[in-house]
Amino acid sequence: MLFPILGQSQVKSKLWYDGNARVMYNRDALEGTLKETDTVSTRSNGGGFTILDLGFHFTPVDDIEIASEIRLKNDFGGMWGNKSVVELRRLSAKGVVNNKIAFSVGDIYLKQTKFTLYNYEQELSEYEPSVFRFYRDFVNYENYYQSNYWRLQGVQTNFSYNMYNFIEQLDFDGFAARVRGQEWMGKPELLMIGGSAVIKSSNNLNLGSHYVNTFEILSSSNSLVTYYNPVLNTQLSYSGTLKDKPYKVLLEGGFSKRGWDGDSLAPEIKGNFMEASIHSKSKKGEINLGFRYVDTDFRSTGAQTRRINYNNSTTTYPYYSNNYTQRKVSLIDMMSDPNIYNQNLSTSLMNYNPMYSSISPYGNATPNRIGLTADIDNFNLTDYLSAKVQTQYFSEIIGQGTTNKRSFNKSTLHSLLSLDKLLSLKNSFDIEGSINIETVKRGGDDFEKINLNSILYSGSISYELIKNLKIIAGAKMFYAEGNEFIAERDIYDQINDFEDINYDSKETILIAGIQHHFTEDIYFTMQYNQFNVLDKTNTYDEFSLGRLIFMFNMNL
Amino acid sequence: MKNLKFLLLTLPFFFTSCEKDKIEGPNLNDMYGELTIIESLNVIGDSADFSVGDNMYFTASFSKQVDWKIKIEGLNSGSVKIISGKSNAINQLNSTWDGGSTHLPFFISEDCDIQLTFEMYDDTIYRQLNIQGEKEYNNENTVLITDFENGFNPNFTGFFNAGCTKALTNGGAGQGVKFLQQFGTCDWDWLIGYVDYYSTYWYDQNELVNNPSQVYFNIMINGDSTISQASNVPNSLFKLEFYEDENGDGYYDANTEDRYDYEFDVDWNGWRMVSFCYNDVDKLVLATSGGNAVRNPSKISNVRTLLLANPASGFAKADVDFLIWSFGSPILN
Repeated sequence: MLFPILGQSQVKSKLWYDGNARVMYNRDALEGTLKETDTVSTRSNGGGFTILDLGFHFTPVDDIEIASEIRLKNDFGGMWGNKSVVELRRLSAKGVVNNKIAFSVGDIYLKQTKFTLYNYEQELSEYEPSVFRFYRDFVNYENYYQSNYWRLQGVQTNFSYNMYNFIEQLDFDGFAARVRGQEWMGKPELLMIGGSAVIKSSNNLNLGSHYVNTFEILSSSNSLVTYYNPVLNTQLSYSGTLKDKPYKVLLEGGFSKRGWDGDSLAPEIKGNFMEASIHSKSKKGEINLGFRYVDTDFRSTGAQTRRINYNNSTTTYPYYSNNYTQRKVSLIDMMSDPNIYNQNLSTSLMNYNPMYSSISPYGNATPNRIGLTADIDNFNLTDYLSAKVQTQYFSEIIGQGTTNKRSFNKSTLHSLLSLDKLLSLKNSFDIEGSINIETVKRGGDDFEKINLNSILYSGSISYELIKNLKIIAGAKMFYAEGNEFIAERDIYDQINDFEDINYDSKETILIAGIQHHFTEDIYFTMQYNQFNVLDKTNTYDEFSLGRLIFMFNMNL
Repeated sequence: MKNLKFLLLTLPFFFTSCEKDKIEGPNLNDMYGELTIIESLNVIGDSADFSVGDNMYFTASFSKQVDWKIKIEGLNSGSVKIISGKSNAINQLNSTWDGGSTHLPFFISEDCDIQLTFEMYDDTIYRQLNIQGEKEYNNENTVLITDFENGFNPNFTGFFNAGCTKALTNGGAGQGVKFLQQFGTCDWDWLIGYVDYYSTYWYDQNELVNNPSQVYFNIMINGDSTISQASNVPNSLFKLEFYEDENGDGYYDANTEDRYDYEFDVDWNGWRMVSFCYNDVDKLVLATSGGNAVRNPSKISNVRTLLLANPASGFAKADVDFLIWSFGSPILN
């Protein structure tokens, strides 16, 4: 279903404000052997800015709200207006027609199902200790990532009918968005339209149908070729109780079609998917079991677009070493650099790095997967120890380059130990730890074997020194070892080559500092970070960096 | 509701059985697998008589798709035929040989060595074959001007500057036994010499197809790749002039009829077949008046071959043999 963020706001007085303010300064300096051997790069560099995103909400009449957000940005180091920017960050309007039909136009945030339109989290962000959250909040905010919504421009509407028989309620949503505008001598305009219809019955059975079509407009360019990608998703859910324990069963399936009209070389591919899951909740925690099948040829622009774009250049030391090597995106950039992230929907499968995520680089919509998932959330072992566990086992449906198929395993564990509760301390004292293990294997002859193991250890300590002022420290250790075959795809997403890559990598992130919360959303933090990326295959030089960072964040 | 639960539980097993056997992308075995010869090279149709239309082919099979090359070399003629492909099997479809040559001279009735080699691999397979009868290139799809086997037709007139040589020679021909030697040094003129091959005296008197895109001129040229000391370019320049008798009066009139020229450097050593489509002869020497500026192969009354060289550069050489027209494709297609 569509849940525009705008719809969550309430109509208040004629004019009201919200927004975000952020001050950030960081100074990065080369460390380790690189500091001695790299005579080309600067020893250190730094930068900072003050940002004020001021949101104006104007309600000319009760049923209409116009919202805009103006960004005032001042980079440190400028003066007399130099390096100062004023830009429009958001402009939208929403309203209700006759208290029945809601609509939003302009910048809208859209989400549908996990197979039609969904903005999946970046890799290795699950179960991340909370001391790293400020980086994640910064990255997500700068890229307009709000939950799993995609920010698009267009129009959206929704309305409901309440009934008083077997069918209790009918919900309808629809939207039209312009994903890519007109390009001079370029590609045609890319539009996305979609809609949902959900029937809620009186016996807790819900039936929903969701449709999204991403397509190009032939008349908007001189091109004779236009892309199309309709996706249909039908969901059936049932909620009930078993021995006083509530559960929910969800069964969904659908299909997609993707092709290019006017291009005789382009294949039209059709794919389908199916997912079944059961969710139950108890006092001890929540359990979720699932099965998923996604066809090799399933394509969904809205659900398979990735957040991280590995083709983007990193902000911190994009080039390093005396060979002026381009630094590839690594864990430190995934954690802290908003510029490697993508804000636009992609009509083709984006690249990914199997070292960081192989099992589901395109979320649940990852094509060519069949397997099982199980996770336990909010598992309260005692009042001072809680845990979250997730395990996944998947296999390919069709082998890539061979009849042997990859098998994928992923296990994740996160635990939170509240020492203040255990030791009856007055001030909060939390220790968090998580582990994320992923393996990819493929058998067969020596030339086709795959054995890639990656593991991420994360941990943090947070001790409240005085009220709301915490000393924090955190660490992430990432190891990847083995080999993988990277598929290279042509313009139609068809695999036309493989590159055999060996991995032997170790990445370390250490942070320590203080953090003071005025409220949940108003805080500042000052830290020293140390990053190290070591490629033991010697393809890339070791990269070591120290960073002093200050951030003040305030959500108005 | 029990039925629904049953349905939910059984669906995963249904989808598990939906596994497919095909693969996505190129075969890794072809890219990274080891090359194993499953079936060694065999010659099918050995001792073929190519003169009566026989042909032969080769068979072999490998563990992966690989770039392969079969080289057939005549032990007496020195002619070479190359057959190549990329596949995991050599068979009739990709290796049929009709006795033609890739490198001149032509094969004769002789024994040949065969080498099968693979790109990126050291494996080599050796075989031998025998040719009972050599391929006959002159057939219903060709018009032979001359192959000099019956001598030099005295009606083919020409001119060679003093001190330059035009001589019919036995042995070492591109085709058959005889060929026309042309060489010399002329320090006062670009022209070494020329020969006019009048259509009236061509060996075959079949009319050429009047479609210039279907008519190919072929000539064997034996060069020595001498480089000019003066201009540092190949010393020998070869020129062909095609005279069209448009009004059919048996006489070419430079004032009213078309002539098409084609020239090239002889920058190679040994025999080579030069073939080109008459449609590609793009240098039209316009008549002062008249001339239809349309290529009319059926109206060609004379083919003149000229050997030219920079007077300052010294020695030039371009022996010729087997001047022949072919229809539809070059003679060594």
